[in-house]
Amino acid sequence: MSKPVLRGLVIAAFFALTAFALVPTFVPRPAFIPGFAPPPDMWPRTVSLIGIALGLLALCLALTRPAAEEEPIETDGSSPWRMGLRFAGLVGVFGLFLALIPYLGFLLSTMALTLVVVLMTGERDHKLWIFLLSFVGPGLLLLFFTYSLGTQFPKGALTKPFGF
Amino acid sequence: MLNEILSALQSVATLQNLLIMIAGIWGGVIVGAIPGMTGTMAVTLALPFTFYMDPVPSILLLVALYKGSTYGGSVSAILIKTPGTASAACTALDGYPLAQQGKAGKALNMALYSSVIGDFISNLSLIFFAAPLAILALQIGPPEFFMLMLFALTTVAGVSGNSLLLGLVSAALGLLLATVGEDMYGSFRFAFTPDMQAGLSIAPVLIGLFALPELIKLVVMRVAKTEKAATLGAQHVTREEFMGSLRSILKGSVIGSVLGAIPGIGPSSAAFFSYGEAQRSSKRGSKFGKGELEGIAASESANNGACGATMIPLLALGVPGDVITGVMLGAFMIQGLTPGPLLFQTNMHEVYMLLIGMLISSVLLFFAGKATMRMFAKVSYIPQTLLTPLVLLLCIFGIYSIASSTFDVAVLLVMGLVGFGMFLLNIPAAPFLIAFILGPMLEENLRRAMAISRGDPSVLLSTPITWIFAALIVFALGFTLRREIRKSKTERQVAQ
Repeated sequence: MSKPVLRGLVIAAFFALTAFALVPTFVPRPAFIPGFAPPPDMWPRTVSLIGIALGLLALCLALTRPAAEEEPIETDGSSPWRMGLRFAGLVGVFGLFLALIPYLGFLLSTMALTLVVVLMTGERDHKLWIFLLSFVGPGLLLLFFTYSLGTQFPKGALTKPFGF
Repeated sequence: MLNEILSALQSVATLQNLLIMIAGIWGGVIVGAIPGMTGTMAVTLALPFTFYMDPVPSILLLVALYKGSTYGGSVSAILIKTPGTASAACTALDGYPLAQQGKAGKALNMALYSSVIGDFISNLSLIFFAAPLAILALQIGPPEFFMLMLFALTTVAGVSGNSLLLGLVSAALGLLLATVGEDMYGSFRFAFTPDMQAGLSIAPVLIGLFALPELIKLVVMRVAKTEKAATLGAQHVTREEFMGSLRSILKGSVIGSVLGAIPGIGPSSAAFFSYGEAQRSSKRGSKFGKGELEGIAASESANNGACGATMIPLLALGVPGDVITGVMLGAFMIQGLTPGPLLFQTNMHEVYMLLIGMLISSVLLFFAGKATMRMFAKVSYIPQTLLTPLVLLLCIFGIYSIASSTFDVAVLLVMGLVGFGMFLLNIPAAPFLIAFILGPMLEENLRRAMAISRGDPSVLLSTPITWIFAALIVFALGFTLRREIRKSKTERQVAQ
């Protein structure tokens, strides 16, 4: 399947899902609407229907017209499977970071996230900078935001006795 | 009148006032340049300090912070493709490619010159056109507002990326995301979690969409650029380059001044509108988005051009044009000044002081920008594999500190993934963002117009102003389609 066809399908499917599944379920109509004001679902439904039309148009154009040259995406030569794994890994890291905040606190979670992300970029050369960025950076930022702006960062259930 | 102006000039030109303005502008540039920290945050944080100051210096401090942060947004937009403020999003489109080509200094200089000129013209517009423009803005009702915003959206969709169709898809996605949260009648839409009932904040969506895809690309595709940006010293904007962009700078300044004077429009829309107009009318329009100085000039002159103009409705009518001027309204009240028509009668001396101070701050912006530019240019020397995680770190701390919300951090990360998906599908991000910002206003004005007309949609074409905007929408769409068809024909001919 070519990229333009896939793109048309994804766009049409996303807006169709929104118009026919999400809007009826997650946009409740109030029992009483004052005056002649349109109901709350009018706008999201309209936008979704326009989106479906645009998606179908993109699909039709992709099927009927010769595919225009699109700029290739630059990669390191890894297979799509490998790149997919990297993406899934990053999504997992983001999810884990959010899940860990209540237990480890904002500071430790951010340190762990930064270290993992730096390593995921393939950086191995600047060891001192990796250390400074991952461990000293979050600490300094926490101090700055806490003392100059008064931001209170969440403490972890496991790390609260240590003060962070 | 001349005596009053001279007296006001004397009152403004004190060492204390100058230091306050320098501190404000410098602080604003630094705050604006840090991703996740906005001008609104800078102005809000400075508000408590103004309690202890005289009325005019306190307002000048806030105005200086506003101007500085609006320019500062361009620094990170150019150097690390992370617009510090929403109004600098367009600047990133050309600024970052220029930085990648080793012309970061050129881009930063052009951004500074355009910002200063836009700011100066905007201040002049504030001085000379406050009353007439305010009257014009007053005549714009919900149908006109709706058509104006629809026009802005169509223009942005048409000029972003290579396809009008994909630009419109992007705008539709942005409009849809903007409906999340409580609507004007108290219904919760797409509130999948309790946090979503309040809707999605602009900052995490903006930063996530523009900053994080770079990091995700780096992790997934591992194509770290190893070349460093050239030093700033040899990167001056030449006379030819400046003159070539002057038309767009002047046009952007006027667009910023006019749109900034209309409550609710603000610097972001002005920048997008000006960028679209410059791309449409420029001979080098096809190079926009690939590292064109004129694109930066158009965007920066308009967003700073809107800064002074947003004070027009505030001073003349007592109506804040955006969040920042809303905070300033509070500062005026704290100081015992009530913005509105009466201000020009009862506190003329203070009004003159303020206007003169704003003109002086334009000049100070130039020097503060030059000094800060060199400091932030060091960013160019950091390897991408360290810089992008640093950006992530700044974004996470900055976003969390806005509302002390872990949900906002989650939105930031999710929007990064969405932005990466859009990149893979070649869907431009700019229409998404402007649609997300304009979406609530667009819908509110549509629903108000429909309520006023008792459900008759013809209200959207009921006045000359609405007809003008409708014609402009048709023109913009027709022009973009014609351009795309021509381009497509040329490509086919080349292929054959």
